[in-house]
Amino acid sequence: MKQHFVPGTHIQTKYNFFTGKGGTGKTSTAAASALSLADKGYEVLLVSTDPASNLDDLFTLNLNSEPTVIPEQRNLHAVNVEPETAAEAYRERVVGPYRGILPDSAVEQMEEQMSGACTVEIAAFDQFAGWLSDDARDLYDYFIFDTAPTGHTLRLLQLPGAWTEFFAENTTGASCIGPLSGLTEKQQGYEEAFERLKQVEETTMFFVARPAEAPLEEAARSAEELGDLGLTQQVLIVNGVHPLLEQEVKTEDEVSREFKQSQLKALQQKPEVLAHLTQYILHLKQQSVVNPATARELLTPGSGGEKLEMTSVPVSSTALETWVDEVLKAKQQLIFTMGKGGVGKTSTAATIAQLLADRGAPVLLASTDPATHWEDRDASSGTFAVRTIDPEKETEKYRAQVLASMEGELGEEGIAYMKEELASPCTEEIAVFYAFSRLVEQADDYYVVIDTAPTGHTLLLLDAAGSYHRELLEKTGDDQAIRRLLPRLRDPKQTAFLLVTLPEATPVYETERLQKDLIRAGLTPSTWLINQSLSAAVPQDSLLRARAAGEMTWINRAEQVAENVIVRPWQQQ
Amino acid sequence: MVLQVFDPAMCCETGVCGPEVDPELARVAGDISALKTKGITVERFNLGNAPAPFVETPAVKALLDAKGADVLPVVLADGKVVKEGAYPSQEEFEAWTGIKLKQLDESQSKGVDIKIR
Repeated sequence: MKQHFVPGTHIQTKYNFFTGKGGTGKTSTAAASALSLADKGYEVLLVSTDPASNLDDLFTLNLNSEPTVIPEQRNLHAVNVEPETAAEAYRERVVGPYRGILPDSAVEQMEEQMSGACTVEIAAFDQFAGWLSDDARDLYDYFIFDTAPTGHTLRLLQLPGAWTEFFAENTTGASCIGPLSGLTEKQQGYEEAFERLKQVEETTMFFVARPAEAPLEEAARSAEELGDLGLTQQVLIVNGVHPLLEQEVKTEDEVSREFKQSQLKALQQKPEVLAHLTQYILHLKQQSVVNPATARELLTPGSGGEKLEMTSVPVSSTALETWVDEVLKAKQQLIFTMGKGGVGKTSTAATIAQLLADRGAPVLLASTDPATHWEDRDASSGTFAVRTIDPEKETEKYRAQVLASMEGELGEEGIAYMKEELASPCTEEIAVFYAFSRLVEQADDYYVVIDTAPTGHTLLLLDAAGSYHRELLEKTGDDQAIRRLLPRLRDPKQTAFLLVTLPEATPVYETERLQKDLIRAGLTPSTWLINQSLSAAVPQDSLLRARAAGEMTWINRAEQVAENVIVRPWQQQ
Repeated sequence: MVLQVFDPAMCCETGVCGPEVDPELARVAGDISALKTKGITVERFNLGNAPAPFVETPAVKALLDAKGADVLPVVLADGKVVKEGAYPSQEEFEAWTGIKLKQLDESQSKGVDIKIR
């Protein structure tokens, strides 16, 4: 059907970025490509800034920010930087000198200000910007990056006035500059890096996706977003395509047949934007990429060698129905499903709402996914209401509200100033947060099921700002919703968090990080739900059975880190 | 006249990035930008991204040491502490600088939009 990806032929630029949702195999594809080019005799540097990167395991090495020669892999050098570690180092560079000089309360304030997602993003960009400089250009024939900057990062670096104003006077306008402040000396380097990313003869963006709707849509979104920013040399790689996709197998069971059908359907109906890109595929392999041999195998058409035998799902796994019964018994009227995009948190929220309604509870189901179309429905008993929070609309509404409330108070200049402030990327998070604090209030009367939750950082910000804003809240008194929110979220008697993930390396690592982040903010995320488990679906297809066997590592790991694990069988979406 | 405003660590100076927009913060930001156009030198330092001035300004450093970060914001007029623990009101800005802020706003915003074809 489509052409299998061959790095030696299909990689045509010096700088190559592999990007995609967690679990699409971008690190594996990047590593395999780097190996393949090195095998051909080129000097290759593989750069990883993916926090869930398993490069260390893959090469059985402890990689760090200095290029390490991979033993026995000719010409291959690798760098691996955890963005959190980089962010930590960066934070320390800014805050460290003031420890013991400024009072502890002031140092804590600074630290919290710099522990947001923005800081981590910038720190990650900082890591690869160096390799894009003229100085590093001739050190290697190829640079392979297993992450790409997001549109958000690039816009953050581009914020109007973010650089110029800040350097000139440090007095006005520059929103969200906090995380950038320690990097002022690097401004020129960043501009150079950004320029390099835009040169079509120098840089290619490879979007790695699975043959499924959500990752393909995500790929389309980033392709569009990065394209708008001038990063136009783009290639799509669909990874994990069943080698017998279009072949009928007579003895096939339902799960195996549906698995192939869903892949085919996703590929046929993929977003328009992707149709214009050069496209390659990689076949689904029996085994995930765990070492250089399996990495090379990834690039070979077919399902690969060694067969694994499937075992069954651990018996300790709870059924979702049982979990819902417990929620009802405990009267936890606020339920969040959390996780990265594509793990099925929205459909999980809908399932939970339905289960609650079936049991006669009044339910309010809410989604922040603008693509969600739910209709109000009456359950057999009780109420079933749905709400959609559209982040874009909420942000617009919030902007308008703020500006309206300022009218008469501010002059023309003040308004212009506010407009620039409101263009900052933080605004959306806050606007959504508002919409959602109003929703949470409904949990007095309903079981409120929401398919997202604020990040730990937002909550900590809220908390830190609590003391500062308290006075004002008491004055205006109209923001009960916000004031009541945090204690409610932190009370496990009232609130249940369900962390939704997939039985694969990256999603499991990501969920571990999310769990840590939430615990840091004083929340209690006790249950994980693993979606789309092949082992729980018991397919007959030998390739799928081998994949199912591979899941066990990740299900076991989840069992170790989570109090309670729910495993849901693979089903067509 | 030089005004120096020492803010607590915050994402931005209006609070739009915070848990809520503080109209007070926006008003202060507006007042400050109006004062600047009238030739007053106003410097603003955010503890979150410019900690050095907090250490290098003895009056601010002393307040921080004595009362902790809650003492912020602190405002200095020509080096003297004129406000701590809260932002100045519009009247206070006017009293320190001798500039009428209210009038300034109105005269600016009452322009008539004339289109010439």
